Amino acid sequence: MNPRYAWIRQLVAFALLLAIWEAAGYAGLLNPLYAPSPSKIGAALIDLFSDGRIWPHLEATFTAALGGLALGIVVGIVLGVIAALIPAVAELLEPVMTLLNAIPRVILAPLFVIWLGIGLASKVALSFILVSVLIFFTVFSGIRQVDRRLVERIITLGGDRWALVRHVYLPSVTAWILSNLKVAVGFAFTGACVGEFVAATRGLGYLLSFAQSTYNAALMFALIFLILVVVLVIFAAAGRLEKYLLRWN
Amino acid sequence: MSLVGPSGSGKSSLLRAVIGLQQPSAGTVDPEVAQHEIGMLFQDDALLPWKTARENVALGLGFRGVERASALAQADDWLARLGLAGFEHRFPRHLSGGQRKRVALAQVLAMKPKLLLMDEPFASLDAIVRARIIQDVAELVEREHIGALLVTHDLEEAISLSDHVYLLSQGPRARLTRDYAVPIPRPRDPVRARTHPAFAPLYEQIWNDLSREVDRDQAQEAAE
Repeated sequence: MNPRYAWIRQLVAFALLLAIWEAAGYAGLLNPLYAPSPSKIGAALIDLFSDGRIWPHLEATFTAALGGLALGIVVGIVLGVIAALIPAVAELLEPVMTLLNAIPRVILAPLFVIWLGIGLASKVALSFILVSVLIFFTVFSGIRQVDRRLVERIITLGGDRWALVRHVYLPSVTAWILSNLKVAVGFAFTGACVGEFVAATRGLGYLLSFAQSTYNAALMFALIFLILVVVLVIFAAAGRLEKYLLRWN
Repeated sequence: MSLVGPSGSGKSSLLRAVIGLQQPSAGTVDPEVAQHEIGMLFQDDALLPWKTARENVALGLGFRGVERASALAQADDWLARLGLAGFEHRFPRHLSGGQRKRVALAQVLAMKPKLLLMDEPFASLDAIVRARIIQDVAELVEREHIGALLVTHDLEEAISLSDHVYLLSQGPRARLTRDYAVPIPRPRDPVRARTHPAFAPLYEQIWNDLSREVDRDQAQEAAE
């Protein structure tokens, strides 16, 4: 088996699965109310795009997820660096972050709706809180594991604290952040969709909740598929970024 | 000059105290040169893995406020002088151990130190690479009039490179016990120095004194 062609085999297996699923639907083995056949799901998907009503929803979810992701990464890095360098800050911040890390953070969704309304802000906030805690710990523990020898090198060459952050800490945590970037992307979309699920007038999460209330399984599957594709596209972009930033490795 | 002594006599700690990485547990360090005029070559060759050879060499110059373009040009110069022309844009991962050591050396020498501290810098290299780097170091240090302090386990290395070899007694509370003047004239090639008639007797003398230090320690351990 040539590993280079693994994706072909995976594709064939996937097509086969869809074919069996479709056939089972035709044979009346599956209740279309719960498990609509792939062709019905495909039709629902085409429907979403053909009349253009999907776009505002996609835009809402994307904006919320990417906004929360960007904010969460920036704030996570800044807090992580500060906490790692200033013990007094770590003393205050670490317990809070540990607590936030321990709870399922999506339970904050209703609170954000009360505070920030049912618009975009509450979704961004949920994405943000999911991502920033993850990135904080990535950076905080990453800096603590930095190679001491590199730190000593910079000091003996006359580098100050800022030089350490710029030339040693940030580059070495970049690798850690990138390895967690895919998880962060997943978190960001979780935050956006769950936020929309709780209370919203737009977004993929809102559509899902609508599909649930109308018992529209085909629409649900179509939406799940759509979110899957969106996340995969972002993963591919993240992979390219990783390759570029870690080219020294 | 070189500093030799048994393991645990605090040779490395002494260097770390001189460069300011460690506080001496008693006494003060009073170097005649300013901190920024001291360069240190470490045992390992930990370069920043995400920076190319020239960026690594230019690093210290940048801290000193040298403009980036000029720092990189000086870095290329130093790399060329150390036989690494053509390797400027390699990342450390794509350099051999000897090449990395040369980059680390260029990094330190680019700062134009007046005093060069070396903490067993050649221990991890294989014999030929090591002999070549030692030759280059000796030549550069002599030509640039840099004071050098080498800490080593290797007596041959110590004698062939130094004018004075100091023996540090067994730690803790180690002290300088002996000072051996090396009568081999300069300029000198550290590889040829080993065949100088004064080399072997001096080697034997230091070896015997060093052995006594180690034995004394073992006797002490047995007594306790």
